[in-house]
Formats: sequence, structure tokens, C-alpha cells
Amino acid sequence: MDWGLLLPLILCAAGVPLAAALGADLRSARAVRIAGAALALLPLAAVVALAARLPEVVSGGAPSLVLPWMPSAGLAFSLQVDGLGLLFALLVTGIGALVVLYSGFYLDHDPAAPRFLATLMAFMTSMLGLVMAGDLFTLFVFWEGTGIASFLLIAHRRDDPAARRAALKALLVTGAGGAALLAGFALLAHAAGGTAFDALRAAGDGLRDHRLYPVMLGLVAAGAFSKSAQFPLHTWLPDAMAAPTPASAYLHSATMVKAGIYLMARLNPMLGGTETWFWLLSLTGFATMLLGAYRGLRRNDLKAVLAYSTVGQLGVLMMLIGQDTAIAFKAMVIGVLAHALYKSSLFMAAGIVDHGAGTRDLRRLGGLRRAMPATFVVALIAALSMAGLPPLAGFLAKETLIATAVHPSDSRAFDLAMTAGTVLAGALVLAQAATVIHRTFLGRAGSAASRAHEAPALMVFAPAIPAAASLVFALLPEPAGLAAFLAQAAEAAHGATVKVSLAVWAGLSPPLLLGGVAMSLGVAVFLHRRRARDLEGGGAPWTWGDRAYEVVLRGVDAAAAAMVRVQDGRLRRYLVVMLAALGGLLVLFGAVPLPEATPGGGVPPGGWVRVFAALVALGAALASARLRDDLLAVLALAASGLSVALYIALEPAVDVALVQVVVDILTTVVLVLALRRLPRGPAHEPRVPERLRGAVPAIAAGVVMAAVAYAALSSRPRESVVTPFYEANAVARTGASDVVGAIVVDFRGYDTLIEITVFAAAGLGVAMLLGAARRGRPAGEARAAATVGVAGPRTSPFLHLLAWVVLPLALMMAATRILYGHDQPGDGFTAGVTVSLGVALWHAVFGLAATRRRLRWARPRALIGAGLVLAMAGAAAPVLAGQAFFSPFDFGHAVGLPLPPGVHFGTAMVFELAICLTVLGSAVHGLESLGGAAPLPAAGKKEDAR
Amino acid sequence: MNGHLAILPFLLPLAGSGVTLLLARRRALQGAVALGLLLAGLLSSAALLREIWETGRPVVFQMGAWPAPHGITFAADLLSATFATLAGAVFAAGGLYAWGSRDDAVRAQPAFFPLFLMLAAGLSGAFLSGDLFHLFVCTELIVISGAALTAASGGAGPEAAFKYFYISLVAGLGLLIACGAFYAAYGTLNLADLAARIAARPEQPLAAVAAVFLLVYALGKCAGVPFHFWQPDFHAAASTPVSAMLSSVIVKLGVYVLLRCGGLFLPLAGGPFRAVVLAVGVAGVAVGSLGAIGTRHAKRMLAYSTLAQVGLMLVAIAWGSHGALAAAVVLAVNHALVKSALLMIAGAMAGRAPGHSAAFDALRGLGAALPAAGALFLLGGLALAGVPPMNGFIGKWLLFRSGAGEERFLVLALLAAAGGLSLVYTVRAYQLVWWTPRGGGSGASPAGDSFAAPALLVAACVALGVFAEPLLRLADGAAADILRPDALVRPPPPPGGAP
Repeated sequence: MDWGLLLPLILCAAGVPLAAALGADLRSARAVRIAGAALALLPLAAVVALAARLPEVVSGGAPSLVLPWMPSAGLAFSLQVDGLGLLFALLVTGIGALVVLYSGFYLDHDPAAPRFLATLMAFMTSMLGLVMAGDLFTLFVFWEGTGIASFLLIAHRRDDPAARRAALKALLVTGAGGAALLAGFALLAHAAGGTAFDALRAAGDGLRDHRLYPVMLGLVAAGAFSKSAQFPLHTWLPDAMAAPTPASAYLHSATMVKAGIYLMARLNPMLGGTETWFWLLSLTGFATMLLGAYRGLRRNDLKAVLAYSTVGQLGVLMMLIGQDTAIAFKAMVIGVLAHALYKSSLFMAAGIVDHGAGTRDLRRLGGLRRAMPATFVVALIAALSMAGLPPLAGFLAKETLIATAVHPSDSRAFDLAMTAGTVLAGALVLAQAATVIHRTFLGRAGSAASRAHEAPALMVFAPAIPAAASLVFALLPEPAGLAAFLAQAAEAAHGATVKVSLAVWAGLSPPLLLGGVAMSLGVAVFLHRRRARDLEGGGAPWTWGDRAYEVVLRGVDAAAAAMVRVQDGRLRRYLVVMLAALGGLLVLFGAVPLPEATPGGGVPPGGWVRVFAALVALGAALASARLRDDLLAVLALAASGLSVALYIALEPAVDVALVQVVVDILTTVVLVLALRRLPRGPAHEPRVPERLRGAVPAIAAGVVMAAVAYAALSSRPRESVVTPFYEANAVARTGASDVVGAIVVDFRGYDTLIEITVFAAAGLGVAMLLGAARRGRPAGEARAAATVGVAGPRTSPFLHLLAWVVLPLALMMAATRILYGHDQPGDGFTAGVTVSLGVALWHAVFGLAATRRRLRWARPRALIGAGLVLAMAGAAAPVLAGQAFFSPFDFGHAVGLPLPPGVHFGTAMVFELAICLTVLGSAVHGLESLGGAAPLPAAGKKEDAR
Repeated sequence: MNGHLAILPFLLPLAGSGVTLLLARRRALQGAVALGLLLAGLLSSAALLREIWETGRPVVFQMGAWPAPHGITFAADLLSATFATLAGAVFAAGGLYAWGSRDDAVRAQPAFFPLFLMLAAGLSGAFLSGDLFHLFVCTELIVISGAALTAASGGAGPEAAFKYFYISLVAGLGLLIACGAFYAAYGTLNLADLAARIAARPEQPLAAVAAVFLLVYALGKCAGVPFHFWQPDFHAAASTPVSAMLSSVIVKLGVYVLLRCGGLFLPLAGGPFRAVVLAVGVAGVAVGSLGAIGTRHAKRMLAYSTLAQVGLMLVAIAWGSHGALAAAVVLAVNHALVKSALLMIAGAMAGRAPGHSAAFDALRGLGAALPAAGALFLLGGLALAGVPPMNGFIGKWLLFRSGAGEERFLVLALLAAAGGLSLVYTVRAYQLVWWTPRGGGSGASPAGDSFAAPALLVAACVALGVFAEPLLRLADGAAADILRPDALVRPPPPPGGAP
């Protein structure tokens, strides 16, 4: 457990809130510069902390820290630093410090500079975590972090549509790669039985021989290729140059794009060394190398040239990892180091040019060496390193690369191609470097040269450091320490011993000769660069990635548009699809209810009345559907409901029948009230196909329902589990002589409580809905409509008298229902509906306003609220007596009240009263809303919901 | 009596609905009471969860002390208590949002909070119910209060509410038929009792019919394709605090029923059950992701995205392995938090747009003055896409792990694609609202709904991503509960006993 490993991460992460906290305080350009310089101290400290690890790592140590994160999923937060990790970590923090310093100058007039700096620090933390991660899971977490930070940095100039598009493209391409990577990691973790790199290394051969090895490799490589811009997934990187130059220098050349390189190097000991690995990485890298080297030549944007040369270099590195030789990994580590140094330097120099000359268009630049001498020198050194000229780091990189190419590998043919390819690429890169320097600093002064000016010293200092380092590390006489460190890094990637020497002069050898060939070729290309650039053509392979991205995105959009069109808002169609799916499921599950023939028992006693009731119910229901007159249809529906009540009464279930009767009456009243408010228009006459479309699913659904019901009735086991219990305990333990009452109020009383809440919600909902419809119309209109009764004309004194008589009667009936409800048919629900029918009559006779004035107690919301509160309080009361919530409890008995027989003052009665209040309140709410206001306006045009 | 802990999570909001109705004229007090009771409900469900976690046993309560299976059983195991706590948390955040909302659909409605509390009570009750019929009753409460709240939000509200009500009626009828058919076949509606009897005699007539109707009910509730058509209309039309509940926790009712009853009823139709749920899940991912990309309305986009996210959960349920079920629970928790937060942000932005529209045309560039809200939205979007270290990633990783273990490559590819597509729509929306210049038209109105509630939810997303272990262990235990339904089959005798 080496807690010190957290230090560099914490140092970098601390910069995020610090930078963000600067916020709006950075008013002046100077403040931004100072902030950048101060912030750069954090990564600098991280460099020191990391450098302190060098002796330990060079001697072969790999300090690690494993913190439990999600132990139950076998996941930990794990850090481990070996040579490879430390090399990348030092680059990340070292170049990071310079870039942060540089950013302060670059963005000194940008009000969003704090945001940029904070995001940059967040990126640095992610990138550092990525290269220090000790297992797949931790690595992936940081991997995604770099992607998000990159997204935010590319689109730093948010009002620039190109920047937004580029950011989205980078996020989507690398995000898709990330998804593949995650899947690959999941497979790897499954195959190796763990996510730690140590575990994976131990499982190496098992992984390579695994049945799913090609799948794992493919997925992981897809992730690495997308991040490291390998052909054809490189497509996002050139676009990403829309980012401010510091971000390009840091993310898109020195660090983030190397994440894929790092990952493949890291996984080489576990997954590498196979034919598939060799060919996949070699060919991809080879193609990418040539693509980048060639494409960079024809750009006019300084940053684009550098971007393509980065793509080419990433290809080189990927190709090197594909080789299973020690020298390849030597070339890889030197290449990583050299490229990071010269490319970050060149990018920052390009930023200075952009800043000082106001453009990075090569056609407008030229001759800047006088105006920007310091920058010119820095850029020149870096460009020489890029061109691979001695005595610079780039030369070493190129020499080892060529040495690898001529080194025999598995495939003779590929050796030749690789040798030729690297020489060609080297030539093209040299031409690129020459172009950059020539067209920017040398030659005739361009249109932008007049206003160009040199940057502040500290700003030039940033790129000067890596440029100087390129020079120094090749000039030092055999830097043994550095060589040993690089050897450690290469060994970590190779999985075997690697010797690294950094001598610039290694004697006359084939690589040196080939390097010379590349150089002369490069000079030739540079001289004839105009002709070389004519080799353009449409449909070239390098546009495949771009086009694929466009095609995929457009395809997704087209599919999405089609998908939204399916959602056309037609309820009938929705229902038909649902019912069809239901039918399909019934068939699929083999659950088509086929009722078995049961012995017919003839007509049961009293059966003819049942037949009559059934016929009336059916006939009336049909009539309600066929009748053209709405009022008659409502009345027919009422008749149908009453016939059902009659049928139920014969069952005999008088309780239920009573409820059915009062509900039927209330429904009819509400419907009649609603009729008044329905917009009237020409009746819609459905045509035959339309009718058929409705009729077929309706009839099919009816048939299925009938079959289910019949099967249930004919096959149901007569011995129910619960019925005997209810019958045995109704009287004994609830004091109810009526089993239905006992079920409704006691055994399943809580269901009833929820059901009255449902009723309350319905009442409240109707009121809200109609209230919403009423709002926004003149208040006078609503009031005028509210002063008369339901039908409009004035009502007679006789009707007044009737209303006066009926309401008290209803109240008395309700009271008896509540008092005796437990013993007799009828309950709180019936009571509530009965009273509301009395109130409904008042509404019909006196109108809304008068009724409200005279029946002050009929306040719907208060009634509902009181009912619900009372119900809860009554149910909770037994808890105080130490019994369960909602248990039956006889308060009267407990207190010793003298009550007449059959009357129990207990929880049941309280509950009945509560039900009555709630039902009354909701019903009155509905009546007031429907009876009160003027008719609704004609249905407005439907809003386009799409 | 600890058993009462199992009913407090829904009794508190239920009592609150009555109390807040009585307080309808005192709006400030009404909101405070509602919020207080929602918080109390959250605390009670958290206490319940803790109790189960510490004792390792489910908490069972028999309503009215009527013994099972005769009375209504409430059974809280890790699965149901997790969902109840989730509902409590999201509803508390919703209450907080609604409390400070300036939306007329909230402020000018004296019955808003009572109905909101009823919705909360119905949902928690459904999660904790150990009785199939009581599940139906709670569903009715959810449907009617949700429809009422949506209908009152004006605009497209009434039409959407009508469609939802109608389709829910059909789905609810499905559950009622399932109840009837199960009762006809086995003579009981107690879930645990039913499970035991089904395991003993799976070939009872009507049992398969009941299973199909129950499945249709559950798919209707969680908007599985093709029972989803009501959902984008409905969730987008509701007022913000309501749609933030509907599209986050309310849809989880269907997911919960599938988790709970999938284990119980597997003996009836194991093979087709899994195949159907898998197909529905895959279709949901496709329809939801594409719909979210295709729509031009922020709330609608988020509603579509719910289809896709629920699709992922259905895929996990269909796999049915321990790891996949745990992944489903983690996904459900994450999605509920993220989606409610995102809908609140979208709603709060819409409240600042001209015409209070959540259409992208109205929202374009509106976020320039509100970068913090943008950061919240982006974090939420990343959580939705499963980017670490947000909590969405944990569920995705679990799903990937179990998918890798079982070599289900096609579905893995689909999951990866779904993650990518969700990145497309959330990031595009983010860029459009927060980055694109407004370009004419009036700017954001300065005052609008507070971002406090979504900020809390997003913070929870981050916290559950960074400190994921408790949730993982919870999901692990919940998955074990699902796979071992006999834990609930013989519930311990009610503590009070029969009087």
C-alpha cells in the first residue's frame, strides 16, 4: 500500500476547483497569466513527486496502491507505477505544467479562461490516472474521463458551430470505441478472473488461447484505435483542431491520443505475441502511418499539418507494438518520448504564431523569422527533431524505427513493405517539417507578417523546454540513467528484457543508410511538394472514416424520424396493437382458454328472472351503443346497470346490488350533467372499413374475455383458501353478520381505504380538469351560467319543497347505514352516494350558487380531507392500544358506553363514516364542476405533440 | 411492533393527502406539510431497509392482524424496500421541486399536493404489497392520481391523460383478470401463498392465462414495446414535478412486478417468459433510443429515453442470472434518480422559455445564463449513457460482466449501441440548449423553478457512482431475494398475532 502514489493525482485534481474558483475574478489579462503560471506549479509538483520514484522504478520496482472500491463486484481502485507508466506519467505532468503555463498567456483575453484551465486540470488528472492505473476498471474510469474533458476542451469556443460539431464527433467516435473497450474489458475480466494487470499477466497464455481471444482483442483494439486515431477511426482528430491550441498541443498530440498506444503497450504482455495481434496492429499502424505522412503535406492550416503528422506518428507507434521484438519496443519508447517533445513544442509554437500573426493559414504566413525570432528558433529545433535529423531525439526515434523495420519478423513480405513504408513515411514527414518551417518563418513575408509580434518570454519558454530537451537528451554522452529508465519502460511493454542505448552515432549500419535515403527523398519531396499535392482524388481511403461517420449519423437520424412518425397519437391504433400483442402472447404461452364442456344443469331456481335481467342488461347495453340521441343512450345505459343490479340481487348479494343501484343512479346524473357541456357538431358517420377495423379487435377481445370468464366459472376449485376463514370469523371476530361487509370493512378494509382514495382522486381530478378548462374565460360568463339550475329554466316551488324534504331523508338514511352498516346490507359507500344524490337534487333545483350558499357543509375538499384523515385516525387508534394498524377495535365496549344492540361504536363505524364523507366530498366535487360552469368551447385544435 | 415499519412508507403520504386537502386554502403550509410527510415517508422506508439489512429477514405486516393469506399482507424484503426507498427519495425531491415551482399547473391547483401524495402512497404501497389484489388497488390509485395531475397541466395534458387513462384501464384490467384467473386456479391472492401453490401445481387451468395477463399488465406499466405508445405523450405532457415522477419511479412499477413475479411465476412459463421479455427489452432499446434522437422536444426526448433504459432492465431481467438481476436493480435505481433530475432540469429550463415550452426551438441557447444547470444536465446525461464515475456506469458494467460471462454478444452489442445513442441525444440537447447562441427571440426569463431538487438528485447519482458498494450489496441481496422467493413464501407469523 503505497499511499504516496495518490499524491500526483491529488495535486492535479486540486487544480480543478482552484481554477474554477478563480471564476469571474480574473478581470485582466495579467491576472489570467499569473493564474496560469501559479496553476502550473501543481503539475510541476506532481513531476517532482513522480521523479522521486525514478530510482525505485529503474531498479525494477513497481509501487502499487489498491483501495477497495466495490469489493462485492470484485472491483478496486488500483494504482501501479512501473517503467511504462512512469514514462507516460512524467510526460503527462511535465508537458502538462508547460501547457498550463502557456494557456495563461494564450487565453489571457478570454473571459472563459478559468473554465478552460479547470477542464485542462481535470483532463490532466484523468490522463495521469489512466497511465497510473493498476487494473482495467480503474483505467477505464479515467479513460472515459479524458474523453469527456476532451469534448469540453474542443468546444471551448461554444458559439462556433464547427467546434461544437467537432466536439460531438470526437465524443461519439471515442465514446463508441469506449463502449467496445468496456465490452472487451468485461470479456477479459471474465476470462482472466480479475481485472488487475497482475492477474491478467498471470493469465497471459490462458488469454491468448482463449476461445474468445479474437473477440476480446478486436474489442480492445477498437477502443484503442478510436482513441489513438488509427485509420479509419482517425477521422475525429483533424476536426478536433478546433480546440484552442494549448488543448491541441496537450491532448491531441502529446497525451490523450497516446492513451490507445499506452493501452496496447500495456496489454502486449497479456494479449500480444500472436499472429492476429501482429497483423491487426501492424497493418492498421502501417496504413495510419502512410495516411498521416501523406495527408499532412497538403494542408494549408498549420495545425492541420501537425495533426496529420501526429496521426502518422501514432500509426508508427501502433505498428511497433505489433512487432514481437525487443528493438521494436525500444523504438516505441523512444518514439513516444521524442514525439511528445517535438510535437508539443511545435503545437505551442503554432499557437504563438496564431496569437501573434492572427492566423494559422500557411497561405497568409511566411517570413516571420524577423518578427518572431525566438519562436522561430524553438520551432526550428522541434521541426528538425520531427524531420529526424541528428543530433536530435527525433533522429534516434527514426533510426530505431528503421532498425526495427529491417529486423526480421514473422513475415518476410511485411518486412520489405515495412522498410519501404518507414523510409517513405520518414521522407514525407521530413517534407512536412520543412514545409512548416519554410512556409511560416522563411520565404517571402505573407500578408499576416506585418502585424506579427513576438510573444512574452514566458510564453516562448513553454515550447522551448521540450525543444531543448529533444536536443539535450541526444547530445548527452550516453545518458545511462535515461537509457535504463527507457529500458524499464520498454520491458514493461515487451514483457522481456530490452536493451536501450541512446548513442547518436552507432556506426555505419543499414538503418543509418536507409535514414539517409529517407532524408534525400524527403528533400526531393519538399522541393516538388506542389506536384506531390496534386495526387489528390475524391473517394480516397482517408475519407472513409469521415463518410462512415456522416452516413451512420444520418442513418440514425432517418431511422429516428421514422420512429417518431410511428407515434402518431391515434389511441385506437395504439389499442389495437396492444390487443394484438396480448393475443399473440396468449397463443405463444399456449394459454388460449378453451372451456371444457360442463354438464348443463338446466335453469336454476328463480332462473327465469335471471334470464330476464340478463336479456334487459344486454338489450339496453346494445341500445345505448346504437341510439343516436345522447340522453336516451345514457338512460339505456342506466337501465342496463339496473338490470345487472337485479341479477346481482338474485345471487343473492344484496349488499353489492345496493351499491350497484346507487352508483348507477349517480353515474346517470353525472352523465346527464356532462351531456350539457359536450360540444355539439355534425355526427361522425364511420364508414364500413373503419367500423370493421374497430369491430374485429373488439369482438376478438370480447370472445377472449368470455372464454376466460367461462373457463374460470367452469373450472374453479370450489374449495377457496380464504372463504371458509371469512365465513367462520365474520361474526366472531368482526361483529359483522354480513360476510361481504366484513371483507370490505375488516378483512380487506385497507383495500377499501385505497379505493375511496381513488374515488377522491377522481373527484379532485375532474374538478382540476374542468377548472383548467374554465380558466382563461371571462369570469362573468361562468357566473351567469352558474346561477341557474341544471336545465336552465327556473324551477317550481314544488320542486323546491321536494329538495328540502329529500336531503334530510337522505342524511337520515346515511346515518342508519353507517350505524347499522356492519349488520345490515349497506355501508358507508352507499351512505355517501345517497347523500350526494340528495345534494345533486339541490344542484338541479337551485343551481350551483344557491346550493353552495345554503349547504355550507358540502365543501368538497374539506369533506374528502376530513374523510381521509378520519379513516387514517380510526385505523391508527388500535395502535395506541397496542394492536396492529387497522385491527377491529370496539371503543364503545372498551369505554363501557351503553349502546343499543346492533350498534357498535368501533373502528368499523368510524371507517364507514370516513368512507361516507370521502365519497360525498368527491361526488359533490364532480357535481359542482360539471353543473357549475358554462359548456365547454368546441374542441380546440390538437396540439402537434411531436 | 416493528411490522408497522413496513406500512409507514405509504401510510404517511396517504395521511398527508387528507391533511393537505384540509389545508387547501393555506398554500404555503400545505406545501410544507406535503414536503415534510414525503421526507418522513423517505425516512421510514430507509429505516425499513436498514432493519431488513441488519436482521437479514423480511419485515412482514398483516393489515388489521388478519393472518395470511386471509388479510392483506405487506412484505418488505430487500427488493421491495429498495424500490420503496427509491420511490421515497424521488418523490421527496419531486415534492421539493413542486414546493418552489412557479408553474400554474402546480401553484394554482389546491389539489396538486394531495394528488401528488396519493401518487406517492400508491406507488410505495404497490412496492410493499404482498398481495396481488392490493397491487391492483394501488395501481388504480397511481393511474387515477397520475392522470388527474397530468390532465390539469393544460396544453396537451388532457388528451395525453385520456390516452394514458384508457390504456392503463386496459393494463389494469389485465391485472384484474390475472387476479381473477389466479384466484380461480389457486384460491388465493397472497403472493407468497400463490407462489407456493403454483410451484406445487403449475398445470392448473387458467394459470397460464393469468400469467399472460400479469405479463401484459407489467409490460404496460413499464411501457414495454408494444405497450408503450401512451408513454411519450403522457410523460411529456405532465407538469414537470409530475413527469419527473412518472418517467422515473412510476414506470419502475412494471419493472418491479417483473422482478418480483418473474421469479414467482417462472414455473408457469419459463421459456417463453424470458424470450418475450428479452424481445420486448431489445425493442424498447431500439424504439426509445431512436425516438429520443428523433424528437424535437426536451421532455419528450427524456420520455423516449426512459423506454430505452427500461428496455435495458428488461434485458437484464430476461437473462435472469444473479448478476443480471442485480444489474437490473442497480439500473433501476440509477435511472430513477437520473431521469427525475433531467426532467426537472428540462422543466425548469422550459419554465424560463417563452411560452413555457420545452420544445428545442424554444430552449435553444437558453442556458447561456445558467451554466450550472448545464453542468447538472451534462452530468445527468453522462450518467444516463453510463459514463464513469457516474452511477449509470456501475449498472452498465454489471450488465456487461454478466453478458460477457454468458457470451451474449448480440445483446452486448445492442447495449453498447444504446449507450452511444444516449450520448448522441443527451449531448446534442446539451449543446443546443447551453452552447448554441440564442439567435433572436427573447432571452431566458430570469426567474424560474429552482435547480435545488435536481442538484440533489445528481449529487446522489455521483455519490452512488463513487461510493457504489452499498448499492451493489443491496442489489446483490435483492437479486438473491428474487431468486429465492420462498423467503416470502412462509412469512413469519404477525408479531401481534390474531386478537
